[in-house]
Amino acid sequence: MKIQGAQLKVKGSRFGVGLLILLVAALLVAVLLGSEKLSFFELTDEQNAILFDIRLPRILLGATVGASLALAGASLQSLLRNPLAEPYLLGVSNGAALGTMLAFIFFAQSEFARPMMAFAGAGLATFAVYQMAKSRTGMNVERLVLSGVIVTTFLSSILVLLTSLLDSTKLRSFTFWLLGDLSQGTKNGFYLTLIIAAVGTIVLSSQARALNLMMLGERDAFDFGVEVGKTRLIVFTTAAALVGTSVAASGSVGYVGLIVPHLVRLSIGSDNRLVVPFSALAGAIFVVLADTVARVTIAPRELPVGAITALVGAPLFIYLLKRN
Amino acid sequence: MAEKMLEVQNISINYGVCAVVADVSFALEAGKIIALVGANGAGKTTLLKSLNGALPTSAGEIRLDGKRIEDYSRREIARRIAVIAQETETKFPVSVLEFVLSGRFAQPSAALFGWESETDLRVALDCLELCDLKNYVNRSMNRLSGGERQRVVLARALATRAKILLLDEPTANLDLAHQALLFRLIKERCENAETAAIVITHDLNLASEFADEILLLKNGSIIAKGKPETVLTGEYLQEVFNVKVLLDENPISNKRRVTTIY
Amino acid sequence: MSKIKLQKSNCIFFAPLHFCANKLVSQNFAFVWILFCLVLLANCKNETVNQSKFAPTREITDDLGRRVRLPERVTSAVSLAPNLTEITFAVGAGERLVGVTSFCDYPEEAKRIRRIGDTLTPNIENIIALKPQIVLVSTASQMENFTRTIDAQNIAYFVTNPNSLDDIYKTIYQIGEIFGTSDKAYQVVAELKKRVADVEARTASAADVKVFVQIDKNSLYTVGKESFMTDLIARAGGESLTKDVATAYPKISKETALALNPERIILSESDNNLEPNEVFANSPAMKKNKVFRIEADLLSRPGPRIVDGLERLARALHPESFE
Repeated sequence: MKIQGAQLKVKGSRFGVGLLILLVAALLVAVLLGSEKLSFFELTDEQNAILFDIRLPRILLGATVGASLALAGASLQSLLRNPLAEPYLLGVSNGAALGTMLAFIFFAQSEFARPMMAFAGAGLATFAVYQMAKSRTGMNVERLVLSGVIVTTFLSSILVLLTSLLDSTKLRSFTFWLLGDLSQGTKNGFYLTLIIAAVGTIVLSSQARALNLMMLGERDAFDFGVEVGKTRLIVFTTAAALVGTSVAASGSVGYVGLIVPHLVRLSIGSDNRLVVPFSALAGAIFVVLADTVARVTIAPRELPVGAITALVGAPLFIYLLKRN
Repeated sequence: MAEKMLEVQNISINYGVCAVVADVSFALEAGKIIALVGANGAGKTTLLKSLNGALPTSAGEIRLDGKRIEDYSRREIARRIAVIAQETETKFPVSVLEFVLSGRFAQPSAALFGWESETDLRVALDCLELCDLKNYVNRSMNRLSGGERQRVVLARALATRAKILLLDEPTANLDLAHQALLFRLIKERCENAETAAIVITHDLNLASEFADEILLLKNGSIIAKGKPETVLTGEYLQEVFNVKVLLDENPISNKRRVTTIY
Repeated sequence: MSKIKLQKSNCIFFAPLHFCANKLVSQNFAFVWILFCLVLLANCKNETVNQSKFAPTREITDDLGRRVRLPERVTSAVSLAPNLTEITFAVGAGERLVGVTSFCDYPEEAKRIRRIGDTLTPNIENIIALKPQIVLVSTASQMENFTRTIDAQNIAYFVTNPNSLDDIYKTIYQIGEIFGTSDKAYQVVAELKKRVADVEARTASAADVKVFVQIDKNSLYTVGKESFMTDLIARAGGESLTKDVATAYPKISKETALALNPERIILSESDNNLEPNEVFANSPAMKKNKVFRIEADLLSRPGPRIVDGLERLARALHPESFE
């Protein structure tokens, strides 16, 4: 008799190794491609500078942002039992963007104000959406989507209002907020995003089993031993931190949290113990490749990375969905 | 004297000012099955939900193995009480085996970071076989019929190895064969394994057949409590269901039989 | 009740389970290990300090008050704004530009210079590869990250953002000084000043006409207090009806526009702006057909051609002064 469980784990570890290889390959491709041609062997001083000071930090930032957003998406989808839950659609990204914008306005000097306020903004948005979606009988999934849309659009309008009213030179361009921009990262921003991504993976993986039960229903999870309130708090806080640091560093890169976890699930099933860490890897790959396309297609000009993630992600998703 | 596994003392549950459950008391002893019967909206499901701590009570006390239910952690409760509730559709693809394995969540053997142990897997497979689901192991839950899903839910509850089973209309979607199977399984478990069960059911004859005690609820209060013969009387049934019934004995099992007169 | 026979299959099926017993932990460790490598990668670099290939010998102060160090003779420069490109060509240093933005389209020769991005998102890699001795930058605030990066690469940059005619003269002087063509710069400014004075003289006697400048037809963008076009109109013998509206390019409502009743309408010529908005249909300007199109670049690029724009404005507003 076949036991799917054991097979799943073997398939899972093969998938994981495959993802790792893909990540290394993606990093390599991203490093080699760009506006300037870099020769493979001898690097001039300028090419050296381009590679290590400009290209590599940007690519690594893209990888960590991709991992963070995919992690947030995967865990929110399981927690909220909603395949459409993702940081952008739930208003979490916009909350983080608003926080970052306010940090630019009021605390322009401090570099750490941005991710802190982004985290606060993301947290508040999550809280607002959750409160709106809660009903007496527990989390109502339909209301969740509606609340998410309301919060997202409301925050978007505030963002637009602020960019029009205030001196736009201080606030970063429009596309930064709405479509992401990986070239604006700083070294500290990168390290912070990296640490949060690592911590986030470990924390969310520890909740993976509880999330498996939450996926079956809040009542079910509760009945079978999950501390629902505690799990929810941990996941919301971690997701807010992940989204906050990503948005503060690179603006709002949409669709990663939506599409990557689904692609992972379509490949190896819904077990969060696999989906959560693998989403991080897959998210990193996705954004690194999307950013490479953004950098190279109309060089020397650049496309916003969020436009590429949307353009590439959506058809890919439809294709995989049809195949299954 | 059998030990009291679950003791419910004077509990009331209010939604706002409305008392959905009012001053209910009873005790569940090892090896026994209690049937909760009553009209729709009488408070049966609400009462059941409070028994494992899912719904807080506004008054009164629930004791599990002698200790107040608030004093247990969720995991501890989950190891002692298993719930079979009305099943909901899952939006994510889950296999039958994964579903049943999730019942092993509360076990101490499953570490925070770990996967299920051998024991977990063996228990899950055993329970699936018990519920006549041997060939369903790899199937996706979405592809099962309502009755098949109900059986998987039962298998999961059995997999927890909990001593107390709480069932909310478990036979709702089952055909005759599987209705009988389910109740027989529960009865056997209660007789052999020191388990006990509380079952909400609309089927008075099934209750009569399998339950040791029936609690008849009306508007949140117990109006009759005791053996099936004492509870399933014309008076009480008229009061609760507003129907005329014919009462006799099942010739094979000699248990009280209720037939509605339409 | 039959038990499932698992014994034989134990080794095959459960071996991976044993291996995977703490798989999640090992997965996480793998992840952390990858991150560690990434951090190492981010920090490793051939530590050759990016030496500038010249010895800076003189200093010049830019509009932000920064002291910018330059070599005696600047032979390669990058311009990140179309107006700065035009000014560079005007002072005779156009052939020393090695990189310009995709919007730099005047003069003709500028179109042949290598494109390195646009004003707000210049391509850093290209700029570093070109090794310019100076980068001319127009708007500094949105580019703090950019300027920080090229500064870290020891590439000098000069920030200038002219907002009025006097600012433009100053910028022309500054760029002349950068490229060592101050003589030509003085010449250019003198010529411009003469033309401006001429225009002002001709329109001095005529009464100011009420002007509305339309930047976009459907959205009704116009020029406000902070735009130097307001000043240009004043010098050309007109009064911009929106001269007291806040910000440089405000958007006004149809109601406001309706109440303006301009005597002249100037269209800053672009694809979206070939005709006046319908709301002006009954204005004196439309009734007397006093609607004029002027090339947008002549009105909005703070460079030498601003004076061309001024002259056209003046001819439009007071044709009688130019007979």
